[in-house]
Amino acid sequence: MSAALSLGRRVPGEVLVLAAIVLAAILVSSLASEFQANEWTLWVLYGLLALSFTFIWGHGGIFSFGQAAFFGLGGYAYSVAAINLLPHTNETITALLTGALVGAIAAGLVGYFIFYGDVNDVAVAIITLAFSLVLLTVMSGTADPKYHIGTAQLGGYNGMVGVPPITVGLPGGTPMALSQQSTLELFAIVAGAIAVGVHVLLRRPFGRVVAALRVNELRTLLLGFDVRRYKLATFMLGGAIAGLAGAGYAAWGIFISPAVFGLQQAAFVAIWVLLGGRTSLLGAFVGVVLVEELTSKLGGNAGDSTPIVLGAVLIAVVLLLPAGIVPTLQRWGRRLLPGPRERPSPARASERTGPENAQAAAPVLASEAAWGAGGEEVLRADELGKRFGGVRALDRVSVDFPGRGLSCLIGPNGAGKSTFFHLLSGRHRPSTGEVVLDGRRITSWRPDRRARAGLGIKLQVPSLYHELSASENMWLAAYARTRSASRADRRAAEMLDWLGLAERAADPASVLSHGQQQWLEIGMVVATEPKVILLDEPTAGMSPEETQKTARLVTALAEQAAVIVVEHDMDFVRELDAPVMMFHEGSLFAHGSISELREDERILDIYLGRPVGVEG
Amino acid sequence: MDQLVNTLLGILTSVSILVLISIGLAVIFGMMKIINFAHGTFLMLGAFFTVTAVRAGLDFWPAAVIATLAMGVVGLIVERLLIRHLYGRLEATMLATFGLALILEQVAVLIWGTSSTGISAPLSNFRVGRFSFSEYEVSLIAIAALLLLLAYLVFTRTRFGIMARATTQNPEMASALGINARGINMGTFAFGAALAGAGGAALAPITAVSPSMGAGYIANAFMTVVVGGPAVVTGTSLSAGLLGSVQRLVSEKTSLVLGALSVLVLAIVILRLMPEGISGRLRRTL
Repeated sequence: MSAALSLGRRVPGEVLVLAAIVLAAILVSSLASEFQANEWTLWVLYGLLALSFTFIWGHGGIFSFGQAAFFGLGGYAYSVAAINLLPHTNETITALLTGALVGAIAAGLVGYFIFYGDVNDVAVAIITLAFSLVLLTVMSGTADPKYHIGTAQLGGYNGMVGVPPITVGLPGGTPMALSQQSTLELFAIVAGAIAVGVHVLLRRPFGRVVAALRVNELRTLLLGFDVRRYKLATFMLGGAIAGLAGAGYAAWGIFISPAVFGLQQAAFVAIWVLLGGRTSLLGAFVGVVLVEELTSKLGGNAGDSTPIVLGAVLIAVVLLLPAGIVPTLQRWGRRLLPGPRERPSPARASERTGPENAQAAAPVLASEAAWGAGGEEVLRADELGKRFGGVRALDRVSVDFPGRGLSCLIGPNGAGKSTFFHLLSGRHRPSTGEVVLDGRRITSWRPDRRARAGLGIKLQVPSLYHELSASENMWLAAYARTRSASRADRRAAEMLDWLGLAERAADPASVLSHGQQQWLEIGMVVATEPKVILLDEPTAGMSPEETQKTARLVTALAEQAAVIVVEHDMDFVRELDAPVMMFHEGSLFAHGSISELREDERILDIYLGRPVGVEG
Repeated sequence: MDQLVNTLLGILTSVSILVLISIGLAVIFGMMKIINFAHGTFLMLGAFFTVTAVRAGLDFWPAAVIATLAMGVVGLIVERLLIRHLYGRLEATMLATFGLALILEQVAVLIWGTSSTGISAPLSNFRVGRFSFSEYEVSLIAIAALLLLLAYLVFTRTRFGIMARATTQNPEMASALGINARGINMGTFAFGAALAGAGGAALAPITAVSPSMGAGYIANAFMTVVVGGPAVVTGTSLSAGLLGSVQRLVSEKTSLVLGALSVLVLAIVILRLMPEGISGRLRRTL
């Protein structure tokens, strides 16, 4: 999986393989018999369909049973467009593109509702399957001659007949239908180009963000990426590829029927991709060839048991080979031939390791000037309140935070400080009141929009991209701000230096120590250049030395931004020596310096669980 | 008057059918957070078991009970052999149960053949004004209500049910208290499969029973469950009530095809507004 996310610029093996396949297809198609060319064209088209699922599921993390539906819609769109247009334009390439377009539009419609509704993963799978099955019902019910689009009869359960094959020609010229061999050639080249295109896309910033949100959606959201838009774009691209494959399928069979919307077709897509390997673009095609060979063998000998074998293969792969064939073979191959693909050695990375404690001096927030002068208030909570059912977790709290400097929120468990934090971060909507950032009311904004407006959030539990390296983690944060791959590269390196993590740049985040993970995440928040930094218990689980280093880091940040820290550790709060706000029973109970609060008997009472003195 | 009765009974029957086809799925989804794609074949097997028992000489009602229990056993076996290995892997469970569905459907073809059979409905007909109604179709309403009540009672009044809900809400705490999560999961899955079997049995007299019949129901069953959300009884009844009424009214006014389409559109719109389903918004747990 991490191979697909690698930031390296080597020419990947899969591209060479696919280029070779395209060449081979051209060569072979001229030699192949009509029958073989026909069969192989189907494999290529199914492979494209599988590829669309590999892209959205293996790389985008969207588990959808809808690919077969977009495939079918593409097929119907091609058929309708080709039947109507061919007499006028003498070609069906336009119809082919119409198929892709219709696939993308259908995916866009379904995707809008499921992604913008924040529907969970199970519901995505179910809605997409239901979409397909309802299309099966609807298209099967169009047998009546009154169901036609232009001159094309939809044909109901029996499907559409007389669909034109792939035809080229100019308006006014003679239409020329491609031979079986030329059709194979065309689709092999198209499929090769799409596979290489997807491969390249996955290495572009777009692909890296898509992969990132698969690994950790919450972190991606908090960095300021509009995950809904990324998911929708991924889904629409997948729909376009499936639609194009479906258009090709209708042209290939000169026929399309509602059977493409059935369960079996949806099952096939899942089986191909699962068998070939869900992260491997090549695996999509390998899966198709294996399954198609298997079913045609079975069809010859024991036709009745085909679904049983398919079902058994599906279960066996899920249980025994969850990574799929191609990734597993690649892993074995890499073990046998430890060639030039090794990770950069730590020695090289350590050349630019700076002094461990350079925090205080480093210019952190690069575009500081853009934020304007500090001092005046940057974040304001206005009568902010939250109820959960009958419980009043927070009761009309009003606080201003100045543009620079540190504030600490303390309070016993259940005091409302976490609720307050989540209302600021946008994870909860308040029941009353407003949140104002830089004079703009952000009360109803989603977390990603808040992040883009300058609110940086670090949650209590480290939330990193665990399978990605420290530098890839930092790159994503930097890219969220700069939106430029090269500037993000530089910024990520700077930030890791500043954190003293340059030596660990190539290590996966999961192997860093707990303290290093916390710093990495703080660094990622800083890399988004926020005006306000919200830190929820940044020292949880840290050793005393790590806590001290964190205190210096936080103090350094407070010189350039408003930093709001929620903390339990009183030693840490004392070390920060900043204004403290104490929450109790959903209200702001007291505020002042830590020494002032320590004089206050009532606060001791609250922390010790004694009833607060009736009269002060 | 008779027109009103006709419409009302039609709506109630549609709602009841949605409850019958989705209650088993809802139990497994709500309690175990598992989507069972073999649910359609579970319905189909329930129907075939009933038909077979009736052919063997039993009355419909005892045959339906036997089919229900038999499906409970099938559920037990499936959980032990397959589901158990996949807990916590949402996509893997969906794919594996999808594979199971392919296998079971083909096994049914090998045993019973592809052509559809059926049994005649027990009970007779009655008339209201111009319209004649099948007593059995009306009794489907009672059966659906009974199954909902059964699920409610099992999860509120039995030791097993209370432990199952505890496991759903806080698995770690439940196992710390000594609840055997494996046993609970096995029991819940078997109970869900039995309810699916009961649904299939109830459908047997009013539908063409064939190995592929499940496919005709699962889209609606799935949508009822996701729209209903995590609370089994509240969610299923509210969502079946809503989707079933709309489906019936649209079908009656226009066509069956638009009726099917209306359920999909309504389900998508509801999920856009309430991503956790109706009962997710209500914060109910059962």
